[in-house]
Amino acid sequence: MSTDASAAAVHAPEEGAHGEDENYLNHETGLWSWLTTRDHKRIGIMYCLSLAVVFFAAGMLAMAIRAELIAPGQTVMDADTYNQVFTMHGIMMVFLFLVPSIPAILGNFVLPLQIGAKDVAFPRLNLASWYVYMAGAIMTIVALVTGGVDTGWTFYTPYSSSTGGGILWMTAAIFVAGFASIFTGINFIVTIHKMRAPGMTWNRLPLFIWGLYATSIVQVLATPVIGITMLLLILEQSLGIGIFDPALGGDPILFQHFFWFYSHPAVYIMILPAFGILSELIATFSRQRIFGYRAIALSSVAISLLGFMVWGHHMFVSGQSAVSSIIFSLITYLIGIPSGIKVFNWVATMYKGSIWLQTPMLYALSFLFLFTIGGFTGIMVGVLAVDVHLHDTYYVVAHFHYVMMGGSVMALLGGMHYWWPKMTGKMYNETLGKIAVALIFIGFNLTFFTQFILGAQGMPRRYYDYVEKYAPLHELSTYGSWVLGLGLFLVLGYAIHSLYWGKKAPANPWAAATLEWTNVAALPDPHNFLRTPLVTRGPYDFHLADEVFGGGDGVGDGRAATAGTLEAPKPAPSAPEPQESH
Amino acid sequence: MSQGHHIIPQRVLLGVFGSLIVLTGVTYGLAQINLGVLEVPVALAIASTKAVLVVMYFMALKYDNPVNTLTFAVGVIFVGIFITFTLFDTAFRGDIGNVSEQTVREIQREEEELQRRQEALTPEQLRVAPADFENAEPDPEAGTGADADRGGSSGGS
Amino acid sequence: MATDTATAPATTETDHDHPAHLEHHFVSTEQQFDSAKLGMWLFLITEILLFAGMFVAYAVYRQWHPEAFLEASVTLDQFLGTVNTIVLLTSSLTVALSIHYIQKDEQSKSFWSLIATLALAGVFLVIKYFEYTAKFEHGIYPGALFDPHGAKYEPLANIPYVAQFFSIYFVMTGIHGVHVVVGMGIIAWIASRVYRGHFGSDYFTHVELTGLYWHLVDIIWIFLYPMLYLV
Ligand SMILES: [Cu+2]
Repeated sequence: MSTDASAAAVHAPEEGAHGEDENYLNHETGLWSWLTTRDHKRIGIMYCLSLAVVFFAAGMLAMAIRAELIAPGQTVMDADTYNQVFTMHGIMMVFLFLVPSIPAILGNFVLPLQIGAKDVAFPRLNLASWYVYMAGAIMTIVALVTGGVDTGWTFYTPYSSSTGGGILWMTAAIFVAGFASIFTGINFIVTIHKMRAPGMTWNRLPLFIWGLYATSIVQVLATPVIGITMLLLILEQSLGIGIFDPALGGDPILFQHFFWFYSHPAVYIMILPAFGILSELIATFSRQRIFGYRAIALSSVAISLLGFMVWGHHMFVSGQSAVSSIIFSLITYLIGIPSGIKVFNWVATMYKGSIWLQTPMLYALSFLFLFTIGGFTGIMVGVLAVDVHLHDTYYVVAHFHYVMMGGSVMALLGGMHYWWPKMTGKMYNETLGKIAVALIFIGFNLTFFTQFILGAQGMPRRYYDYVEKYAPLHELSTYGSWVLGLGLFLVLGYAIHSLYWGKKAPANPWAAATLEWTNVAALPDPHNFLRTPLVTRGPYDFHLADEVFGGGDGVGDGRAATAGTLEAPKPAPSAPEPQESH
Repeated sequence: MSQGHHIIPQRVLLGVFGSLIVLTGVTYGLAQINLGVLEVPVALAIASTKAVLVVMYFMALKYDNPVNTLTFAVGVIFVGIFITFTLFDTAFRGDIGNVSEQTVREIQREEEELQRRQEALTPEQLRVAPADFENAEPDPEAGTGADADRGGSSGGS
Repeated sequence: MATDTATAPATTETDHDHPAHLEHHFVSTEQQFDSAKLGMWLFLITEILLFAGMFVAYAVYRQWHPEAFLEASVTLDQFLGTVNTIVLLTSSLTVALSIHYIQKDEQSKSFWSLIATLALAGVFLVIKYFEYTAKFEHGIYPGALFDPHGAKYEPLANIPYVAQFFSIYFVMTGIHGVHVVVGMGIIAWIASRVYRGHFGSDYFTHVELTGLYWHLVDIIWIFLYPMLYLV
């Protein structure tokens, strides 16, 4: 086991021996086999393709918004179109992309692999989730052709309850798509509770699993409320039940309570799994046991529960009572604590680690930088007096893009690169990967940091036109969006390239210590594990892996890896298993 | 192992059913007499008791895996959070800030008065910070220092 | 952190006693049953939170306009409401009994308990139908069509915010009614499977889950009854 051992760098797991060419992609083929699959990995891939289309469409809308705002006055579209474009950008990104994104793609693919299960607890429900999601997506398209929506993604009454167009279809679409989210949440919670491999105790769960667990709690508790909100809104439009419409004696602020009771926790649906990915990336690429495992795990759960008690911070200037504003503001400060705990723990994990700057790690570092900015500015807009000035300005726009894009999307990209070899069996081009990170990071900051300044100077959000003094920063922001778009297209390009011409991936290219790398073939078997693994150590116990399997100097070291002499942690032993007939 | 497969005796089921019917009768009877402010709490307390009976015995949480009880409890707690935090707003709507003793006209007149008084001030009266004095004072030596001191202390008060 | 439920390697199970209903990704029947049950409880709390939205609307408007709610609620038929409560409670008992019987392998008794549940659910809906039509006759509709007239409803026209009460009444009981209809469909399907002998003391997950759902429908009504009819 010396470091100068020759070429055969990374060991494939022993189990890989069985049927070298049979894997989850080729054991059955044809469109029908995909549409009727109950394999969590295939469902993850199907979600990945659907979400990629949505992200592309919503991203193009974002480019259109920035193009319109490059100069004052009309540039590429009229004001009514602009209203529809930013509305659709928001709705698609939030409800159809960010909410399902990490759980539905990476959660579906990785969760059973990481806990040593053959599948999620309810595979049929999992497939149903994808179909329900697609139904929601199709209804969104119907909403577009039946007149479009220009209410903004928040659907505030009374405008939304009195305007026509595609609003009925849109609200119905969100009602339907909510069920996809609920199905995923129920499935994950039950899977994590009941399907863990022998030895996989709660304290040995990879932190991505903890992130998904916390996310699922929010999905289950919050999503039904957006369901009833949309239902009441539909009834308000069709029957005029007078709950939200002030003209009929209703209360529009009550609608905001209903809406944000879901939509603030929905922010945690987007960011909690991102936290999970980040823990995986930081630990693996620092070759270090994660610092404060329990603190990170439990702070996710704390955030998911506390996150239900802060929704009113979106309503400081709505006319809600001062008492509730004060309470909501206070709890908003409190929620900074568990988020801060995480950031400090990640930084502490890197300290004295052997940091290996592969593309996924670069995304993780970008996340740390961008999310910290997003988090701090979040506390700022949670301050009652400051919010009066910043409410509904570009400051808020910049803030949530730093959290949603700089946080969730960065983590998603990092996670996609990290698990790409496992999903596709191919390696992406590392050099292009690094160039893309740089473009995305620079482009992102150009686009959105300028918006902090714009907002602080008073530029209101959702405006079609603006005064001359904002012109230079808006122009800069649009240039930034081009750089950002270029970076994302580069990712798309080399991802497709790697599918056809990429290098064949080894089973554990990152020398990670979690089950999906140590005990699963390069391209997973349809049943994941040939034998149920028996877990004997924590997910980031690189030192134990060395000790137990006789590692030497530099084993698991980033530098050794680049020199091509990396020794991956050995697979966990198999659990004694019953003979099962399939 | 036995948790999920506990057979609840028929006697228990019928007893619980009897209690539910009795409680329904009680709450119906109490609704016929005026209890004043207690009316709502009493009715909700009876309803909650009935719900607990159903959950514990008919739904067998009493004999079940604790994780199911926890799940159910979390759900109920979050309904409570939803109602409580919404009522923090609706029950106290307009508590401070957006109501005032004065009429809008009075506030406006007051503002106009303050505006008028400010416009009447001479530049000398408006000097506060040291920088204000440096530009304005033609006499740099004694004047600046003394005025700057005065400005500083008044700024602190 | 003590819930270590899934770790049993289940060495006892071998090919010959591998039950037909055990899906391949589960290790044991026990694990499959526990999973299904936890999944059902999670689904039930999503139902509770769905109704929570309407409970919040009720709480807010009742707190704002107690007089209007009082005046409006006395026009509901307390007698029919109470009868319906007893009908639903009885149906809860019968569905609990059907689980009790299937656990003791008494398929026939279990089947008839489910049929009784189905019949009681039908009675509930019929009574609800008469309540609704009695309201519609006097122009008590949800929302914009609200136009009370005749007998005791006449004075309501002059009280602001009674329309909100009836909107909430119709939406709450309406969604509850939809759940009753869905429940009847499920119970009918499960009853037919019990009749065909699909379940027994070793495997009755579906019967138990149906029972859980039906009890939840009952619990929602236990709260709707005093809120709408009594106080
Ligand atoms: Cu928020």
